[in-house]
Amino acid sequence: MGRVLELVLADARTPSGGHAHSGGLEAAIAEGLTVAEVPSFIRARLWTVGRCEAALAAGAAAAGSLAELLELDLEATARMPAEPLRRASRQLGRGLLRTACTWWPDDRLLSGYRAASRSTPRPVALGAIARAGGVSPTEAARLSLYDDAATVAAAAVKLAPVDAAVASGWLVSLAGELEALAAPAPWPEGDPEAVDPWPPSTSTPLLDRRALAHADRDRKLFVS
Amino acid sequence: MSADPPITRRGRAGRSRALRIGVGGPVGTGKSSLIAALCRELAGEIELGVVTNDIYTDEDARFLRSEGVLPAARIEAVQTGCCPHTAIRDDISANLDAVEELELAQGPLSIVFVESGGDNLTASFSPALADTQIFVLDCAGGDDVPRKGGPGVARSDLLVINKVDLAPHVGASVEVMVGDAAAQRDGRPVIALSLRDRELISPLVGWVRAQLASWRQGSLNSTDPGPPAPHVHRHGNAAGSGRT
Repeated sequence: MGRVLELVLADARTPSGGHAHSGGLEAAIAEGLTVAEVPSFIRARLWTVGRCEAALAAGAAAAGSLAELLELDLEATARMPAEPLRRASRQLGRGLLRTACTWWPDDRLLSGYRAASRSTPRPVALGAIARAGGVSPTEAARLSLYDDAATVAAAAVKLAPVDAAVASGWLVSLAGELEALAAPAPWPEGDPEAVDPWPPSTSTPLLDRRALAHADRDRKLFVS
Repeated sequence: MSADPPITRRGRAGRSRALRIGVGGPVGTGKSSLIAALCRELAGEIELGVVTNDIYTDEDARFLRSEGVLPAARIEAVQTGCCPHTAIRDDISANLDAVEELELAQGPLSIVFVESGGDNLTASFSPALADTQIFVLDCAGGDDVPRKGGPGVARSDLLVINKVDLAPHVGASVEVMVGDAAAQRDGRPVIALSLRDRELISPLVGWVRAQLASWRQGSLNSTDPGPPAPHVHRHGNAAGSGRT
């Protein structure tokens, strides 16, 4: 089930509410980012937010109890200082959980997490769903990274003068880098304590500041 | 004071949540004003909430709050990332979330109106989001629009032809619009409406009350408008027959 589930989770047609998010691209463009710079923007996200959230997704995919998932909630929230980003991540996590709980209403850990978690950060929810469907922690990390990059590329088509074929090509050209970030998992599966710091604390003050400005902006297309 | 029968957490007929009424239709046909009018008429007796879907601003939510028809906290805005159709049909996550959070924070509510972002004639609500749906057209958009059809025109639970007071000024025929619509609707109701005319509002309010009553009895039969039906040109077919 794992491999096909990975495809289902990566598919933008699977409902999660992701179509209303730009990964901070709308706010960046509002501050002058150009189309030519979008691939660098995606890379910058992958090495910062992406890497951190991939670790959280992998951790959640390896988690065996509700307590572990709720602990990851705290780790995620601590790495997400801007309130609008916490809200956006929570919304996406809830969207994913709603869909997955429709698939597997009897998965007790998943429905328990959905009921108990107040923050449902996207990567933790994604990892919890991955576990329920037999997707490995490394694959969950890759999914999380891909989702981050694909969110920005898809939003770019709506925000900037770019052909969707070109935008999807950005993802293709980043494939190797994305694989590398996901594959040599810097977290020993099942033993997050062994690596320090875990998950990576990659702060992104500019993204945080822009997220705050975006939340106050009057005219916008995307939630985040 | 309240004519609204008390509902428990489980509701009167095993309903654990509010009736969700979708309000869709093209941009500028008067969806927000229609909801404001309904709130004005019903808020004194029924616990209401509204979720708006905003394409570019949260103007619809702000408009409704500024109308003062409901407490501001009863009105929630959802951002749809350029995809008003997606947000009410293909991926309703954000809307369902907003409805549920509104009910949790403000409930128990009896009705939550979900206003779609202005879209085209193919937009319709997922049955998982709206229990029943109103499609709104207006005279100023051209009196050939009902004839063009689409799921909302043909199969929404209620079709509203709005701004009939403008018809004489834009060369539109309300009779033709209502007739063309009724001809495709297989008996489903069509209401000609002007929000400036209190008398014309009462059938709309009556319809909403009736929907709530059947919802509570567990007998609400809503239709999923579904995909656009194959387009049929009715050449030479006189409009105006079978009006509701």
